[in-house]
Amino acid sequence: MNMDPIIRVDDVHKTFFTHHFFSKGEKTGARCFHEKRRVHAVKGVEFGIQRGEIFGLLGPNGAGKTTLVKMLSGLVRPTSGHVYVDGLDVDRQRLKVLRKIGVVLEGTRTSIWPLTPLENLAYFGNLKDVSGKVLKKRSHELLDFIGLSDKKDVQVRRLSRGQKQKLAICIALVADPDVILLDEPTTGLDVQSARSIKDRIIEMTRERNKTALVTTHDMGVAQELCDRIGIIKNGELAACKPTDELLDLFSEQVYELRLDRMPPDGTLGSIEGVLDVNFEAQGDEVLCVAAIEHEYALRSEALYAMLARLRERGVQLHSVSLRQQNLENVFLRVTGDPAS
Amino acid sequence: MGFLLVLKAEIVRGLIIMRRYWFATITGLMISYGFLMLVILAFVSNQAALAQWSESIFDKVVGFLVGMLAMGLVGMFSQGLQGMARTGELEQVCMSPHGLVTNFLARSLVAAVMSILTYTILLSLLAASLKGKIHLDPLATALVLALTYTNLIGFGFMVGGLVLVFKQTGQIAMIIRLVLLIIAIGSEEVAKLPAWFRAIAHCVPITDAAISLKYVLIKGQQTDGQFSSILVQPSFYYLILNATVWTLIGIACFRYLENWSRDKGTLGAY
Repeated sequence: MNMDPIIRVDDVHKTFFTHHFFSKGEKTGARCFHEKRRVHAVKGVEFGIQRGEIFGLLGPNGAGKTTLVKMLSGLVRPTSGHVYVDGLDVDRQRLKVLRKIGVVLEGTRTSIWPLTPLENLAYFGNLKDVSGKVLKKRSHELLDFIGLSDKKDVQVRRLSRGQKQKLAICIALVADPDVILLDEPTTGLDVQSARSIKDRIIEMTRERNKTALVTTHDMGVAQELCDRIGIIKNGELAACKPTDELLDLFSEQVYELRLDRMPPDGTLGSIEGVLDVNFEAQGDEVLCVAAIEHEYALRSEALYAMLARLRERGVQLHSVSLRQQNLENVFLRVTGDPAS
Repeated sequence: MGFLLVLKAEIVRGLIIMRRYWFATITGLMISYGFLMLVILAFVSNQAALAQWSESIFDKVVGFLVGMLAMGLVGMFSQGLQGMARTGELEQVCMSPHGLVTNFLARSLVAAVMSILTYTILLSLLAASLKGKIHLDPLATALVLALTYTNLIGFGFMVGGLVLVFKQTGQIAMIIRLVLLIIAIGSEEVAKLPAWFRAIAHCVPITDAAISLKYVLIKGQQTDGQFSSILVQPSFYYLILNATVWTLIGIACFRYLENWSRDKGTLGAY
């Protein structure tokens, strides 16, 4: 089995320059005739994606996700570093790479609205070097697979947003690419359409051995879909781990203790291994949220010590639980949101 | 092979849209005819004058239609490309493994053939209305039209490349298109201009195309009804030279600017 990553992003940087005329200078605030501004959209990003994997790229707005997708598809050239798809350098062998990838970019009209889905697939199939019986058979199969068969002869302009998005995925798949890049595939879709698209993406990778890179803001989508997640912040890859591992990374540290009353001040203070303690009154109970050291021996000692102190002060313990971390919390912690 | 496949896709798409929007196609043709007739009749007050002027008017009509063809083709590379970038269609075309040049060659060829068919109908209607005479020499006409197309897309590719990098160039291209239209209408006047201006005018892709097309369709007509060969017309040779130079410059510029736009991150985006 080939264990080389099908996508390899190798120390990629991208800097954009913008020109501003008669604008207020960023530093001085004074109006100047011309100012050239530099934007570091991507800074030294490195990761690889294995065949058959669904890789999620998460990040706040303007983090550099779309720029990365565009670099993978050759629409944007890296300032330095290289992007490889199936061993081919995207910058140097772009046209060959385009035979191996299908791309669904966010918020664009990816299909031709006066044409029907079937006609769109015929058109884009030809553009992507697929023709004849193969194209015809594949078009019908894809429309069946995505659930658009009953709309195959309806003009795209009459389709719903979800149906248009499904068609965009079909267009991306019409040349049977090994890799599919999906930029915000479920944004703005209703629950049912989003569900259907998620199912199709999973099916596509599991049954057809395709590789998918998905960028999304929706943590639910990422948690549900992705085998591995990269979190990008200010153009840098802040974390890149398998989804379960990423969730575990923080969940092991936070414990919730339900107490019958508020313990006296300083009860849980200065215990070795306890990083942070917060109390919150919740009806008749008090919720104590304690962040504890990751290391096993320290964690064990810290937990024993906490329970012993509470017992000494006569505080009754109703329950102890490990906080179930969701991707949203992880994301907020990694991206450094103070609310987390 | 790749080009033929893209060409097939563009032909099928063009025919489907034309069939689906047949009413718009026909009304567009009628409006153009009505508009041109209105303009002509507004300048000519009576039938006698119309008969006397018909040849000169018809010359301007041919010039106008050639200018419209130029405007349409260059417009496809300017405002058309700008529009495609705005809607996101350009990003999809950029994903084609055949490359943008092949895609735009096929797209422009289909657009040119469709425009030529439409203008042929319009020209025939106007010729019948104005009692103008058109000489139909299929070989010479096809040759001059092919050279005109090559010339214009070469220029169009250069403008298109600029639009890929600087999207606002599309607006400036509107002025260029109008200049092309004006030159096409008044191409005969070029001979009366000073030498330096004539030299510049010959570099403009539409000047010799318009002169040659008018020659093939009208001017070549002699008193005995015979047509002299296009080969005796110097503009024909300027046209060949122009077509070669503009195509080479245009495609080279387009490729260079396409790469630049990928650096700037403006390829496919508005």
